[in-house]
Amino acid sequence: MIDFVQTTVDGVMVGCSYGLLAIGFTLIFGVIRRLNLSYGPSIMVGAYLGTFLYVQFGAGPLLVAVAVVAGAAIAGIYVERLCFAPMKGGAGVASMVSSFAIWMQLEQAMILLLPRHTYAFPALATGAPWEFGPFTLRPDQLLMLILAIATGIIVNTIIYRTRFGTGLRLVTSNQIAAHLVGVNVRNVMLGAFALASAVGGFAGFLVLAIDQQVTPMFGMWATIKGLIAMMIGGLGSVPGAIAGGLVLGVIEAHAQGLVGPQARDLTAYLLLFLCLVLRPGGLFGKAPEADGAFSSRST
Amino acid sequence: MLELSGLSKHFGGVRAVDGVNLKVGRGDIVGLIGPNGSGKSTIVNLICGLFPPTAGNVLLAGKDITSLPTHIRVGMGIARTFQNIRLFGQLSVWQNLWVAQNSDQHRKDGSFLKRWLGAPGAARAEIDRTLEFFNLEKKRDELAANLSFGEQRRLEMARALAANPSLLLLDEPAAGMNAEEIEQLDERIRTLRKTGITILLIEHHMELVMAVTDRVAVLNFGQKIADGGPAEIQANPQVREAYLGSSNVK
Repeated sequence: MIDFVQTTVDGVMVGCSYGLLAIGFTLIFGVIRRLNLSYGPSIMVGAYLGTFLYVQFGAGPLLVAVAVVAGAAIAGIYVERLCFAPMKGGAGVASMVSSFAIWMQLEQAMILLLPRHTYAFPALATGAPWEFGPFTLRPDQLLMLILAIATGIIVNTIIYRTRFGTGLRLVTSNQIAAHLVGVNVRNVMLGAFALASAVGGFAGFLVLAIDQQVTPMFGMWATIKGLIAMMIGGLGSVPGAIAGGLVLGVIEAHAQGLVGPQARDLTAYLLLFLCLVLRPGGLFGKAPEADGAFSSRST
Repeated sequence: MLELSGLSKHFGGVRAVDGVNLKVGRGDIVGLIGPNGSGKSTIVNLICGLFPPTAGNVLLAGKDITSLPTHIRVGMGIARTFQNIRLFGQLSVWQNLWVAQNSDQHRKDGSFLKRWLGAPGAARAEIDRTLEFFNLEKKRDELAANLSFGEQRRLEMARALAANPSLLLLDEPAAGMNAEEIEQLDERIRTLRKTGITILLIEHHMELVMAVTDRVAVLNFGQKIADGGPAEIQANPQVREAYLGSSNVK
């Protein structure tokens, strides 16, 4: 019982960062109705820039965090300009394929910057774990939880309380109608990529700061975890992304506790498989609207 | 007010719109009719800039707007409805109007504070008046997706008017409406005429077009084949042939 509670708490902590990764994914999916396969690699660009500053100049966690978020946002803008902005509506497959190509490009560019397989990453907070009776709590994990929740609140405020957020919701709801009520759809899409990649970058920073190391596999890792958490929660749903991240985090943690670390990723895929079979729309999902973003224009 | 000169749009080998010239004066209500597939909706899409024309120009109040993006044109006073309804289903009726009106507020007064504080009192009253005009005031807090078909049609027109446009493009507003609803639409267009708004009305329902328009232009296979007063158009043999021809094909 004590183990169960401890594992669940650990899972929630990790799940929060999965949730943030999924929020970024879901924002982009909601706006363009396409998968951006370069999402994880954009985060990796930020992570490697942060690592570069840390390794070369001994930058502190705060500066590294800023560098990771900024680097990811810029990479996200680059991806949008290159893969998604030129493809108007119909050419969705071309966008996805080109985002796969950019994935390779970004990953290789970062490996040229930092060619070793593993680099150290600054810790979020140091200190001995706190003990509450039989339970332990790592201060850095608690800080990650708080920062993840704060980021979620900020993103929610941006989406529901700002002009940009309103535009984002309108484009997600009906792109053509959004044009016709005066939304600059082009800018909203660019902003969505920047915001999503920045959120993903911050999630990446939190995860790396807990692991205290970064490898070239991180881009793919971020894409896969974000994708699974998003699909469990439901495509295009922000609450779903958070729920999906938490579910994924908790179940992975239990799998690791019961079977061992090798079961972690296996369980994640198993969970995705079950979710697709039993509830294809995800926990919070519904079938995409028939008159969604890319229905025919010429009628 | 609106002028199309030599406007063409080709989709691959299909000449959807082929060298159309059309002038719409300020405050006029002009009908645009033609058989299915004659290019009417394509013209509306070209006017509001959803895609670029193959050739030709669109002029609004004497200014060439051919290369401007849609949101700028909306800011210049163009509003439209769609043949297949495009509302923001997850927003309430009131919010659907508010987002449209807000782009208008932004255009007139782009102050940073107002963007954050939302619609001021006068603007709220204007939304309520528009809702009343379209008999939607009881539905103001319903989600747009939950409205009936007829209500959604009215809401789309209300949203178009919420931006306070100078040119309103109505794309088959009577499609799927019953006789009573068409009667109400007729009255609303007549009331709007008094406000001095310019309307381009695309419609299949001939009775409505002949009753409310000052002038009618007829399209067939992307080309304008006639342009004149309603009575003149009804008597035009070429127009009769275009319509009979299309019904024979069916």
